[in-house]
Amino acid sequence: MSELALKIVGVSKVYQLGKRNVNALANLNLDVKKGEFAAIMGPSGSGKTTLLNVIGCIDKPTSGKVLIDDIDTAGLPESELYKIRRNKIGFVFQNFNLLPYLNARENVELPMEMTTKSKNERTARANGLLATVGLAGREEHRPQRLSQGEQQRVAIARALANDPAIILADEPTGNLDMKNKQDIVKLLANLNLKQGTTIILVTHDGQVAAHTERILFLNDGKITKEKEGMHLAKKNICPYCKAKLQPADEKCPNCGKTVRFRKKAQVRLFP
Amino acid sequence: MENLFRDAICLGIVSRAFRNLSRRKIRALLVVIALGFSMAIMIAVPAGIAANQSATQNLTGNLSNTLTQTEATINQTLTQIDCGLASSAPSGFGFSGNFTPGQFGGGGRGDFNFTPGQFGGGSGIPGEFGGGALGGGGSTPMNESLYTDINSSISGVVAVAPILTVSEGHNVTVTFGDRSFTRLVADYIIEGVPLNSSIIDNYPILPANITAGRNLQAGESGVVILSENNSAYFGVGVGDRVTILGQSFEVVGIHGTSGASDRATLYMSLSDAQALTGNTGEITSLEVFADTTDDVTAVSSAISALHAELDVVTAQERLSQLQQQQTNYDAQLANAQATLNQTQSQAFEEIIVAVAATSLIVLFVMLYTVRERTKEIGTLKAIGFSNRTVMSQFMLEGILLSLLAGVVGVAIGSIAAPFLSSVLLPTVGNSLGAGFRFTGGLASTTAVTVNPELMLIGFGVSVMLGALGSVYPAWRASKTRPAEAMRYE
Repeated sequence: MSELALKIVGVSKVYQLGKRNVNALANLNLDVKKGEFAAIMGPSGSGKTTLLNVIGCIDKPTSGKVLIDDIDTAGLPESELYKIRRNKIGFVFQNFNLLPYLNARENVELPMEMTTKSKNERTARANGLLATVGLAGREEHRPQRLSQGEQQRVAIARALANDPAIILADEPTGNLDMKNKQDIVKLLANLNLKQGTTIILVTHDGQVAAHTERILFLNDGKITKEKEGMHLAKKNICPYCKAKLQPADEKCPNCGKTVRFRKKAQVRLFP
Repeated sequence: MENLFRDAICLGIVSRAFRNLSRRKIRALLVVIALGFSMAIMIAVPAGIAANQSATQNLTGNLSNTLTQTEATINQTLTQIDCGLASSAPSGFGFSGNFTPGQFGGGGRGDFNFTPGQFGGGSGIPGEFGGGALGGGGSTPMNESLYTDINSSISGVVAVAPILTVSEGHNVTVTFGDRSFTRLVADYIIEGVPLNSSIIDNYPILPANITAGRNLQAGESGVVILSENNSAYFGVGVGDRVTILGQSFEVVGIHGTSGASDRATLYMSLSDAQALTGNTGEITSLEVFADTTDDVTAVSSAISALHAELDVVTAQERLSQLQQQQTNYDAQLANAQATLNQTQSQAFEEIIVAVAATSLIVLFVMLYTVRERTKEIGTLKAIGFSNRTVMSQFMLEGILLSLLAGVVGVAIGSIAAPFLSSVLLPTVGNSLGAGFRFTGGLASTTAVTVNPELMLIGFGVSVMLGALGSVYPAWRASKTRPAEAMRYE
């Protein structure tokens, strides 16, 4: 059992656009540890969506390996891939993608339908997850009776339903106002902090990305730059040597560098 | 299939299928009604065929019964000659297939053929087939004493029976196009026959078929025998007393019908009938019996020579008229059979169209639904639904749609089957031209009814068609790429 939730080795994805070949992903390598909170940023056409689709098993790479929880998904047929999507991946969409005719609890129960859980277990778990995302008491509400932020919370609860290895969030705050955006980012950060959920989110928004612990910049199908995010400070990890810090530490006891980040973070982070 | 069943039980797809339909209530309603109509057609058309078949059978039965009975009666009485006053009224062959007293015309000459129906027309042939005792002849009263010479002066005559036939009923006026007709709708027909043992013991002027009680006997008075229809009309049976035109009679017997006019005819003694109807000394017809069949022609011409005002009809003439009629009926039967054949081929086409329409409606509606919900399906795929589950979901939705439509279709079909089949199919009964009801045309149409078996079949077929129409859309749905979930519109 490796430490990695996701390992991408030499993945390329070539699209045929007319007579032109477009390299959406070009020999991309990426490791994401279990419990990591990573953001993928990049301009339009940089390959963000393709990468997300490849990780989420809804698109197959032209070459390379994609290991999710040590399972190479690149070569699996659709008859196996849907199980990976169901059990290993939790999708959070920009438009929430809740089923409008199902209430919050039923939406959360959906991914559990094809599992071995009994109806009662599914309902209990859905209620528990809705409480986790702060929607206790709203279980019976249909999406149209929930605010956008609340809908995204339901979507996050749904993504957590089968206890996936990775939560893949595609612009999860793209459709939200400032207040809801903050709430959702805080919710994701808390999930990562308290429950150790591995989260990869794709965003345009630098402020949102800053709240993760690791920001990957994607350009022309490659990861061109990587930055630490402020979430590390919350996790009490030294951004330089990744050593565990005590909350009171001003300097890293391991490498001796000043951990300025933590003070700054208190200013720049969403309140 | 087993998996589909398990999915349906274990997963929420049944409830989701229901809810998806209820999402677009008006659309679902319209589709269900549209499907319901095509399913109603599938039910109504076979019901219509069955009705036409049984109508044809009834028709065949009626015709051959009537013809056989009449022929038998005529054969029995080949020596009998009917004489009655010629009438100027247009006449034809009265021939009723619908013998309730209210609709029945009396035994006179063609007085129930007043519509331009298939059997109508002023053929001017007096007499009518099928009287149980061949009570043909005119309805115009004539003085009985005028004709005593027939018995005495014509050789070859062995008996003359004076008969008085009076129809009692009410007038009904019917307008047909720009013509209107008034006619007597007989409630019952009084036939006075001479209860003279030399006649009734030797010649068939009384009904032969007594189903209860006894026949009239020589010299009796104050007694009647009723037909079964009379019995129902008056509400009396054997041994009861019945009041006819204000006078009380004892019912001594009930006769079974042996022909058309017979069904409404009650028999009593001639003198009773004359007194009762105020026709003292008058009769409406004479039944003349020749010694042998060889004498019939000579006797009838002798009667005509003696009394030119009389219409004289011999059994032989009636027989040839019967044969003419037989030819006519054969044509009608052939016509009915042709209609039936046409009905069947037309029905086949209509059912094919209805079946195709049903599957196509399901197909297009489901295709539209799948297109409309691409993103939703993509989402389901992205969060881990298998192709099979998605396919089951949409199959079920289509089947559910057609199931609901099946209920509506069966409901519409069983209520509107007569209407639908009359619109969609030619009707055997109609082709036989019972122009309108009063004619009591021979072809009584059989009611179009939908039996439970047909409902069940219709229901099963609708579910099958729903499944058929859903296969492609559901397959399309199952092949939706999960990436469709990411499409931002």
